[in-house]
Parts: sequence; C-alpha cells; structure tokens
Amino acid sequence: MRLTSLLSTSAHWGRAALAMGGLALLTGCDLNFWRMEGHQSTMVVDGPVARSQLGVFMVTVWVTLVIFLIVGGVLAYATWKFRAKTEADEHAEPPPQSHGNPLVEIGLIAASVFALVIIAVPTLKAIWYTHDVPGGETRPQLDALIKKGEAYEVTATGLQWWFKFEYPLEQINGVGSLVTSNELVIPANRPVRINLRTMDVIHSFWIPKLAGKVDMIPNRANHLWVQADKPGYFWGQCAEYCGDSHAVMRFRVVALAPKEFTEWLEAQKLPARDVAPKPALAGAPKAQFAALRAFKRNEYGFSDKYAETPSRPPLESWREKQNPEKGEDAALIAKGKALFTAKSCLGCHAIRGHGAAGITAPDLTHVGSRTTIAGAILENNSEQLRRWISNPGAVKPGNKMSLSYARTDYYGNKIDGIQLTAEDEVALVAYLESLK
Amino acid sequence: MDLAHSVPLTKQDHAPSVQPKLLWIPTAKSGLIMWLTTVDHKKIGFLYGFFALIFFIIGGFEALLIRAQLMVPNGTVLTAQQYNTMFTMHGTTMIFLAVMPLSAAFFNFIMPLQIGARDVAFPRLNAFSLWTFVAGAIILNIGWFIPGPNHGAPDGGWFGYAPLTSKTYIPKHSIDYWVMGLQLLGVASIAASLNFIVTIINMRAPGMTMMRLPVFVWMTLITAFLIVLSFPAITIALVELMMDRNFSTVFFEVSGGGMPILWQHLFWVFGHPEVYILILPAMGIVSEILPTFSRKPLYGYPIVVFSGASIGFLGFTVWSHHMFTTGMGAVATAAFSLLTMCIAVPTGVKMFNWIGTLWNGRLMMRTPMMFALGFVWMFMIGGFSGVMHSAAPADAQQQDSYFVIAHFHYVLIGGSIFGLLAGIHYWFPLMFGRQVSEFWGKLSFWLIFIGFNVTFFPMHFLGLNGMPRRTFTYDANMGWNTPNFIATIGAFVLGIGMFTYFAVMTYTFFKGKKVGKDVWDARTLEWSLPVPPPEYNYRVIPTVHARDAWWYEKHHQEEIAKEQAEHAKVEADHGGIHMPNQSIWPFVTGLGLLILGVGATYFESNWTPGIHAKLGTVLFGGFVTFIGIYFWSIEGNAGYHLHLDEHGNPVDEKHAPPAKH
Repeated sequence: MRLTSLLSTSAHWGRAALAMGGLALLTGCDLNFWRMEGHQSTMVVDGPVARSQLGVFMVTVWVTLVIFLIVGGVLAYATWKFRAKTEADEHAEPPPQSHGNPLVEIGLIAASVFALVIIAVPTLKAIWYTHDVPGGETRPQLDALIKKGEAYEVTATGLQWWFKFEYPLEQINGVGSLVTSNELVIPANRPVRINLRTMDVIHSFWIPKLAGKVDMIPNRANHLWVQADKPGYFWGQCAEYCGDSHAVMRFRVVALAPKEFTEWLEAQKLPARDVAPKPALAGAPKAQFAALRAFKRNEYGFSDKYAETPSRPPLESWREKQNPEKGEDAALIAKGKALFTAKSCLGCHAIRGHGAAGITAPDLTHVGSRTTIAGAILENNSEQLRRWISNPGAVKPGNKMSLSYARTDYYGNKIDGIQLTAEDEVALVAYLESLK
Repeated sequence: MDLAHSVPLTKQDHAPSVQPKLLWIPTAKSGLIMWLTTVDHKKIGFLYGFFALIFFIIGGFEALLIRAQLMVPNGTVLTAQQYNTMFTMHGTTMIFLAVMPLSAAFFNFIMPLQIGARDVAFPRLNAFSLWTFVAGAIILNIGWFIPGPNHGAPDGGWFGYAPLTSKTYIPKHSIDYWVMGLQLLGVASIAASLNFIVTIINMRAPGMTMMRLPVFVWMTLITAFLIVLSFPAITIALVELMMDRNFSTVFFEVSGGGMPILWQHLFWVFGHPEVYILILPAMGIVSEILPTFSRKPLYGYPIVVFSGASIGFLGFTVWSHHMFTTGMGAVATAAFSLLTMCIAVPTGVKMFNWIGTLWNGRLMMRTPMMFALGFVWMFMIGGFSGVMHSAAPADAQQQDSYFVIAHFHYVLIGGSIFGLLAGIHYWFPLMFGRQVSEFWGKLSFWLIFIGFNVTFFPMHFLGLNGMPRRTFTYDANMGWNTPNFIATIGAFVLGIGMFTYFAVMTYTFFKGKKVGKDVWDARTLEWSLPVPPPEYNYRVIPTVHARDAWWYEKHHQEEIAKEQAEHAKVEADHGGIHMPNQSIWPFVTGLGLLILGVGATYFESNWTPGIHAKLGTVLFGGFVTFIGIYFWSIEGNAGYHLHLDEHGNPVDEKHAPPAKH
C-alpha cells in the first residue's frame, strides 16, 4: 500500500518535473521519447535485417547493463564506504599502502573476455546474415533466386542531394531500365538486393526500420539487402555528410504486396500521362509526410503549421496518389507542359513520352504519383510544389536546380537564368501534378 | 651577458661549447620578450594551456550554436552552410586545438617534474612545437575572418571525407585552410612527441626506473609514441589531398582512377590512435589523482601500465571499425569487430584498478577527486556504448547517428575533459601557488556533471530513434523534438558550468588563497618542489628509491636530507646547474611557417610566370623559416650555469665568476 502510494507520488513528481519542461511541452512534442517509435526507429523494426541488427544490439545492451550494475555497484559502494566521513578521518594515519593483487586482476580479465564472447558470437552470426541476400551471395545464386521470384534487385544511386532508383529487371522498350527517384517501391516479404552507387560524393543509404546503413562510395560497388515484413511506407535518409543539404537528402520506401507491386510496375513503365482531364475522384484527407519550414519570410507558401500525426496511414495516401487529381484543368496543364520546355527544365529532367530526356536530375515521368518532392522533404501537393519551384534554393540550400535560376551572386551581380511568373508557377504545378 | 664564459668549470663534460657571439641572447625574465623567447618547459606548458583554453571556449561557443539550431525542429538560428561549418570547426577545434594542446600543457609542465628533470631534452624544439601549433591553429581559423564566396572556415567535416573535399565539390579555400592547419599541427605534435620520448627515456633522475615512473609519465610516453606513429598517416593523406586540390593529381579523383576509400583508411589509421591520444593523458591524470586522494598507491601499477601500452598497440589495429558501413566485406568486418572488442579488455582492467585503488583507501572528497570519480563513471558509460559499437551489425544502425555522438562525447567530455579539468584543479596549487576554493570547485563540478549528462544522455535515444548526425534541420514529426530540446537545455547548463569553472580559475590565478608546497599530501616527485616551481625545478636532482617517490621521501626524511646534501655538493663541483639560453629562433621559425601557410592557402593560384602574391608570400615565408632554422643552429646550445645556496636562491653573477683573471 505504502509502496504504491510512494510510486504514484514519485510518478507524480516525475511528471511534474517533466512538465516543468512546460517549456518542453511548448515545443508540442510528446514526452515518451524513450519508447523510440519514430518513423526512423531502429528499435521498432519491420524487416529481418533490421531485426537481426536489433537483436545483436540488445545482446550488447544486456551484457553491458549487467556489467554496469556490478561494476557501478562496487564503485558506488567503495566511494561511500571508504570516504573520509569526519574531520578525524581526514587527519588520520594513511591506510595500509597495498599495491594490488594479481589473482584478482587475472580473474577480472578472464571475466571480461567471457562477457565479450557472449557478444562476439551473435555478432559474427549477424555479420554474415546481414551481408547479403541469404542464399544469394554470388551472382549466379542471386540470379537464380530472382528468376524463381524469391528475390528482387534494384540499383540506388546517390546524388547531391537526392536518390535515383533504377529497376534493372524492368526494361522499357527503347528506353532501358525503369527509373524513378526519391521514392523506392519494392515488393514486400521478398528479399531485395539494393546495389549502391553514387554519382558524386559519398552518401549512405539508410532505411532504419528495414536495415542498417551502407555507404555509397565512388569507385566501389556496394550493396545492401532489405526485406519488408509486410506492405508499408518507410522513411529513409542519407547518413553520410555529403555537403550543404545533407540534412535534407531523404527518401521513402514503399513496400507493396505482389499483385499491387506488379500493377505499379506496369503503370510506371507507361510513358507520362497525357493531358486528358478525367472525372475527379472524391476528395480524401491529406497525409502529412514531411514539411520544411520556409527559409525566407516572404516566400510563397510559408507555413509552420504541421500535422504531427498523419490523418491516415501513409501507405493509403500513397495509393491515393496513384490516381489523377480531381478538377484537372487541361488548358493550364498544356500551358505547364509548354513551359517545361520553354524554361529549359527538360535539360535536366526526363519525362518519358513528353520529349524531355535530361538525366542529371530526378526523372519526373510519374512525379505526380509520389507522396513527396524535393528529395522527400516536402509533401507532394500544389502548395509545396509551388514553394519548391518558385525558390528551390530556399528549400534546399545549394541544390543544382537553384543554380539555373536567375539570381544575384555574392558580389551583387545579376546572373541570368530561369524566371517564373506566378502564372507560370501555377501552370507548371498543374502540369507536374498531372504526371501520374 | 656573458655567462657562458664566466662559469668556473671543473669537469670538461659539463662545459658548454663556446660559440661565436654574433647573436642576441635574450635574457628577459618578464614581459612579451620572455614569453616569445622562453624555453622553460613550465612556461611553454602554461602557454599551451592558455591557447588550448581559448580554443576550448571557441569550440564551446560553436557547440552552443549547434545546440541552439537543433533546439526545435526546423531551427533558423544558422543556415545550412553555417551549421556545416560549425560542426566541422567544433570537432576540429576541440580535438586538435583544445584537448591535444591541453594534454601537451600537462606533458610539458608536469612530466619533467615527475621524472626529476630540469627541462625537456630539447628546450628550443619544445618552443618550436608551441609556436608551430599556434601557427596551425591560426590557419585553421583564419577562414572566419576572410569573407567572400571563395573563403570561409572549413566545412568538410573534421574527418574531411574525399571526394567531398575535392575542388569539384568545395572549390572554396576553406578546405585548403583545413589541410594546411592540420599539417602544421601535425608537425608541432610530432616534434613535441619526439622531445617527450627522448626526455622520458634519457632524463629520468637516478633511481627512476621505468617501472617507477608515475603512471602519468607512462601515459605521456605511450601517447607520444602514438602521435609519432599515427600522424604520418594523416600527413600523407593531407599531402595527397593538397596535391589533388592544387596540382591536379588524382589520389581521390574517381575520374582519374583514384580511390576515395583510400582517404578513409589513411584518415582512420591516424584517427583511431588519435582517440587514444586524447584519452590516455586523462587516464594518466586520473591514475595520479585517485591514489593521492585515496591516500594509498595505485592498485596494480604494472597492469595499469601494460594495459595502457596494449591500448596503444591495439589502437592501431581497429581503425576500420569507423568504416563498418563502407562495404568492407564480411571477413574484414568480422576481424575488426573482434579486435575492437579486444580493446575493451585493457580498458576494463584500468577501470577495475581504479576501483581497487579506492578500495580500503581513505577518500578525501576534494574537487580534483570529484572530477576524477566523474571521469570513472562517465568513461565507464562511454566505454559500454563503445562495446555496443564494436558489434558491427548493431553499428550499422548506429553509425553516423546521434547514438555515436552520445558515445564519443561520453568518452571525450566525460573522459578526456573531465580528466583534464581534474588535472587543472589538482596541479593548480603546484603551478601557481594558489588553491581554488572547494565550494566553487565543487559547484562547477556539479554544474558540469549535470549539464553534461542532460545534454548527451538523451542523444542515445535520438540515435536509436534514427536521427542522423551532421544534419542542420529535422522534421517535427519524427519523435526527436523532446530529446533535442532537453539536450539544448543541458548544453547551456554545461556552458554555465564551464564558465563557472574557468571564472573561478581565473579569479584564483590572481586572487586565490596562497598555499605552500604539497597541499594534497601527494605521492609523486613534483610535489617535493616549492610552489610555484623555480625555473631550474630541482635544486638537487632527486634520487628515487620507490615508485611513489615523494611519499617515500616524506617518510624517510633523514636519509633523504643526507643524500641530498651530498649530491648538492657534487653538482656544485660539476659547475652548477646548467640552464639553456632563451631563444627567439623557434618563434621566428614558427612565424615563417605561418606566413608560408597563409600564402599557400589564401591566394589564388596564378599560372602566369613571374613572382606574384602566392609565390611571393610562400617564398618569403620559406625564407623566414630558413632564417629561423639557420640561426637556431648556429646559435648553439651554450646556456649558462646557476649556483644556488641551500634555500635555492641564485648566488651567481656576483661571486660565481671568479674565472680568468
């Protein structure tokens, strides 16, 4: 009885102390952070690779926790027991001048080695398990698995500051592999080998809920394997410092059931959708995927209001995105399409079927079907799209698109480049949104 | 001043070589000239500490700006560029300009005293190390003061991974400053380390065998070897990077067949021993403080020494655990994983021995002891998260996340900095003859201890919850808001704690309570000296009879007094105490390197023939360096002799030179 009341009292005080961070509450965040259930949690995972890594981690946690309790306990006891407690203690004769005991030392060394063996065994097992697709460690083995439909392969390439995804198994006549960017769609419940490449500096490919990171290093053919337990929507991020906008080099992974995955592939292989307005779909609540606060006060679309929790599961919103927007304005879209050429966007971006074949920037053939834009930092909606194309440098410092815009350099010189009027922006946004 | 000629010499081998006196021999004992020309290891140590603390404060401000930016999601305190510069310079400053020189300050000040020497082996080389360190530090930071799109402070990360640091991706000179600055710091560190190695091997007092060396001296020796063996790796890497950036070589250029991964190997072959370069001095300091305040000898001295040596040795075999995510393959990953676990054994052994030292002792809870115990606790926690990283699969998730940040700040602040702060507190009465108030000392300890834990403990959660390092912003919906907010609050408490600590130190330096020698009833030789120690350190070179030499002397006073009287007479017969002359040339050499370094990095290359700004400045700097080295060598190492009475007062000048009539 007393214990429970004590517990509730201490819980009360604990809460009070935390809430004393009424300051902390002001930031509008939950105080359960130790549960570590975020979108990029490595503690609540959704695939066998991440689970194996988590397993090893938990072994190290328990082993070190036990050692900590023992060693810390002895240390605390010794500090308490042998401290000079009184004035007399301080002036007493010094204690016996002993020099140590080799047997104790050797015993403790042996105990440490034993503790390390407990960690080493699962570590070694997991190193080999997480290294490559089980049973597909060599190329012929992997090809055999892929042929049987028991594995899948994609190639991810890092660029400053976005990711390109190629599907070598999905060939399009006269084009080559299917290419998308920033949102990787994979089959659920099937091992996926991801080849890791980079076009410029070192990046690191990390989907915390599916697998630990592996670096994308120039002149080096790295790889990684992941498997999603079930269909889902996952957050990923570059994990190696790669320049100015490293922090906003993100991506998403969507895992789909086999049938849906095949349907998605078929849709993606088609050339870009042509402007032909269709009957609008019923409006659906929008999901909040991410938001980046404006860097400039006068920027279009400035808003620091975030929905903390998506109003619906993100995977459902992703599915919704595969359908055309309601109320498309064919004339506006046609104008946007013309502007895409006129403003030289096609020099860098590809839109299959619309005559744009640039390769240095994300493929936009089906950009409208993605949930995010700008390297998975902004939600893909008309407001954020417009914010992005009106001033890309403010959203993603130093990015290459911003360098093609008209701007003023450090010395105040005007540099010629892309200029968009408000009408241009609206038309381009409508066009991009139509690319489902 | 013609001391070199005026001294009566009775033994030829003590005779200083007679030099042509073409050169000015500075003799100022105060003022700027003294500081620029000093070769006294204690003054040089003080200067090292002074500069280190300045950079420690700068690095601390950089850290606070980083935390201010991350206090809330989508922070707007810094731009992306500024943030990247901050974390680059915070890391570089703290490692190379704060912790290493602070350790060097202790090596300089304390180590010769602990082995019963009168100076380091090469006093002018010591001054050269100091001034070259200052030159390197200036070049590293010069970018802050040069605005413009082509300049700015370094922003490629303290690890400077190729190819981000190439001219293609960072065309600014910021990386050139970083390369040149680190290069000079390497020169300074290697010169200083060779000096310390020679000093420890050759200049120990009679009876001071290797297995009687204080543990701090052992750790100095091991650290010096680590520096000498590891810095060449980064020197090579930096030269290659400099060549890539300025002379179109392709060491790291993929387009020319270069290998960016090579940089990582070279960097971490240096970088991992560097971790031990940062922590071993602190371990040495703690191994001095715990016995003193437990009032009994260090538990298991030989094992503490050998574990330090094996940490140093193993430190060279584990570099690739910084590269677990670079796709080394399963076998290499497994090998480095196991080797990294091995290093936990000697580290754990030290921990056990520190606890064993407390056991059955009588713990005097003074401020240095508080910091030392704080060190043991915090280093233990940092060690445990280190073991977690040694498991490569777990590390694949933690690498470059905030979990790693939490880990190495527990080791570097909770470890190195706590150890160094303990050391400052511990030796302050010896260095300056004044003692810091216990109340203010303990208050600063608790502020630092609490602030530190509030800052860095939540970062474990952040990392496990997937927050990557080196990110200037984060979204509000990732579950990272609260830990970041708490960490920022903690960082400011830590800042207040550090401010308190150094404010109290500064106050004590000028106005603190004056104390006599051996305030802590300590155990090692340096405490046998009057405070502050005289320029010549020991009136009579001590003879060492036991491991805790001063403790032995205190308990065998009669025997020691007799012995010292005999030795004093012998030394006087040998011509007195030989003191090195002050010299301006190490400073001139360092200045030349500074001019050379600035010229090579600040100016644009100009491929037209003829002398232009860059070439001209570099040549001028090289000329000044040459002048410094040239006169340094022809000036010789003459020095002068001191004669002391029984109380250590100089009696020379007046009646000492009876020489040639």
